[in-house]
Amino acid sequence: MATINVDDREIKVKDGALLIEELLANGIEIPHFCYHPALGKDGNCRMCMVEIEGKKRPQIACDTPIKDGMIIRTKGENIQRVKRQILEMELINHPIDCPVCDQAGECSLQNYYMDVGLYESRLGTPKTRGKKHVDIGSNVVLDQERCVLCTRCVRFTKDITKTKELGVLNRTDHSVISIFPGRPLSNPYAMNVVDLCPVGALTSKDFRFNKRVWFLEPDDAICNGCSKGCSLHVDHHKAKYENDSIFRYRPRFNDKVNGYFICDAGRLSYKKQNTNRDSFAQIRGNESEYEYASGKLLRLLKRHHGKILFLLSPSLSLEEMVQVKKLSIAYDAKLSGYDVNEYDHNFGDDYLKCNDLSSNRRGFNLLNIDEKKENLEEFSKNIELAILIGRDDIQTIENYENIDVKVSINASMPQHSDLYDLYLPMLTHMSREGSFINIDGFLQFSKAHVEYALETKSLSQIIGIVLGDNIFTCKEVWEESLSDIIKDIKLENIQKKSCKMSNL
Amino acid sequence: MGIKIVPRYGQTLKEKLYLPAIVGGMKVTFSHFFENLKDTSKIETLCYPEQLPKDITPRYRGVHRLTKREDDTVKCVACFMCATACPAECIFIEAIEREDGVDEKMPKKFSIDLLECVFCGACVEACPCDAIRMDTGIFSFVKKKREDFVVNIDTLLSHKPMKGSN
Repeated sequence: MATINVDDREIKVKDGALLIEELLANGIEIPHFCYHPALGKDGNCRMCMVEIEGKKRPQIACDTPIKDGMIIRTKGENIQRVKRQILEMELINHPIDCPVCDQAGECSLQNYYMDVGLYESRLGTPKTRGKKHVDIGSNVVLDQERCVLCTRCVRFTKDITKTKELGVLNRTDHSVISIFPGRPLSNPYAMNVVDLCPVGALTSKDFRFNKRVWFLEPDDAICNGCSKGCSLHVDHHKAKYENDSIFRYRPRFNDKVNGYFICDAGRLSYKKQNTNRDSFAQIRGNESEYEYASGKLLRLLKRHHGKILFLLSPSLSLEEMVQVKKLSIAYDAKLSGYDVNEYDHNFGDDYLKCNDLSSNRRGFNLLNIDEKKENLEEFSKNIELAILIGRDDIQTIENYENIDVKVSINASMPQHSDLYDLYLPMLTHMSREGSFINIDGFLQFSKAHVEYALETKSLSQIIGIVLGDNIFTCKEVWEESLSDIIKDIKLENIQKKSCKMSNL
Repeated sequence: MGIKIVPRYGQTLKEKLYLPAIVGGMKVTFSHFFENLKDTSKIETLCYPEQLPKDITPRYRGVHRLTKREDDTVKCVACFMCATACPAECIFIEAIEREDGVDEKMPKKFSIDLLECVFCGACVEACPCDAIRMDTGIFSFVKKKREDFVVNIDTLLSHKPMKGSN
């Protein structure tokens, strides 16, 4: 522990740590381009200058180890002037095309310019031009003119993905970020460079010109692409006269699960969430009113009491699984979580991607829900009604001739909706709350509220209505049953951060 | 914030009778009526639409227009500054990639709902490219359906500036 004095304020920090790390951790604003907590210091942008008493000249905060008793000034006339001069250097060849730049609104260069910028150009000679809107592969668009050469992207491909596709070419003001000829950016985490880039030099081709960032409303959720459950910001917006839709996912820092990054497959999985949100209730392939369809579900359950099979998806939230289990006890039904589709042997790697594509398979273990194939065959013998929840694999139950009635409760419309006697849409992952246990045993909470245009209920609401117990929200489910199963972790805790489960 | 106590009027007998106030009002009405009857040329009204107003200056905020570059293409780069500044949220833009090399971005759709527009001029102020102006002098627009009042990009580009504006 060391004590340092920053702008006449005493703060306690870790001895020997980087100065910028501790200053940022204590909420002190230090402008910076090249430093990134995941990539470490580089010291090339010179933007993070601070005055340290005893030193002749201003020093960069990113490459200064902390010593006890340091006296630091981050504000003041002198340091302001230094920052202004560095920013003027960065902007000499910048095209200042903020109106067409997707980064505008979340651009470090723009923000620092508003704070300490010179506001007038002293440049008489023409600007050095670079290549603009170059597609460098993996959905990334490069604009060399906007680049401040912080080399975050280069260090990302060198240190994190170890694929080394990017580099800095040429010298002085002709220096540019570039790929090697014929070797495009190609790794499953490539689009993270878009988030890493502090300016608009690397932008996403997928998000390009779709929406200005200041319209977007970020929700904190977790990815449901695989069992890793990376933390996400879900950026959605409801434009006037249009439906609420998701425009992009961004990684949300979570030191326990995904750090600062997510994979490209997860990042682009928002599209599926957008298309799913226009499903309507169906009875034997014909459109039906939602109220009538959910009434029919109740009638079917009553008619086939004792001869019901629930097939659960391993991607349901813990709250939903508990509710389905309760429903199965009430109607004396069998419960199975057997699912082969949620597994892809070619998807996983040794970083963030997992072969298990379900988001909550460990919830089955916790709640003792069976997922063995043999048991499913055993269960299915005297079944008349099969209800598929959160899944659309009708082929799993096709061979059982005794199953007369097939029901699907799922977020996406079934591929062959005429094969089901009833299809009831439920809210998609990004429109409801829920807790999930990831592959490493971390209990996490996801909360995104992308609005629906059509009347649709969440699975908990559907079951709550059928059971008539008025338990609809996560909080109510936790109070009712989950807090007895998970004793050491509270809902309030996981709403703040992921917690490791001890009793798995 | 301080509280201002407003006196209550209308409690006296004279005020409760109403008639004195009506007589006072009628006095004003009839004085104007007879004055105008004596000399009709002084009446401050126009026989619109036969007579058109002559006091529309270039500074008048009329229906919007989208300006063009020297090569006659759209100047707008779809930066959404106008839509962001618009208090009535009546500007609907959709951006696409511009392929002709003049710029990177251009509007595919640019519509203004004139029924929602409050003609405040915030869009003109906000535009970083001088791409939208309200100097057309068009003060009247008559349509048959609500949908027709949503003017699209082609109409906005076809509007000409009024004479005398720069």
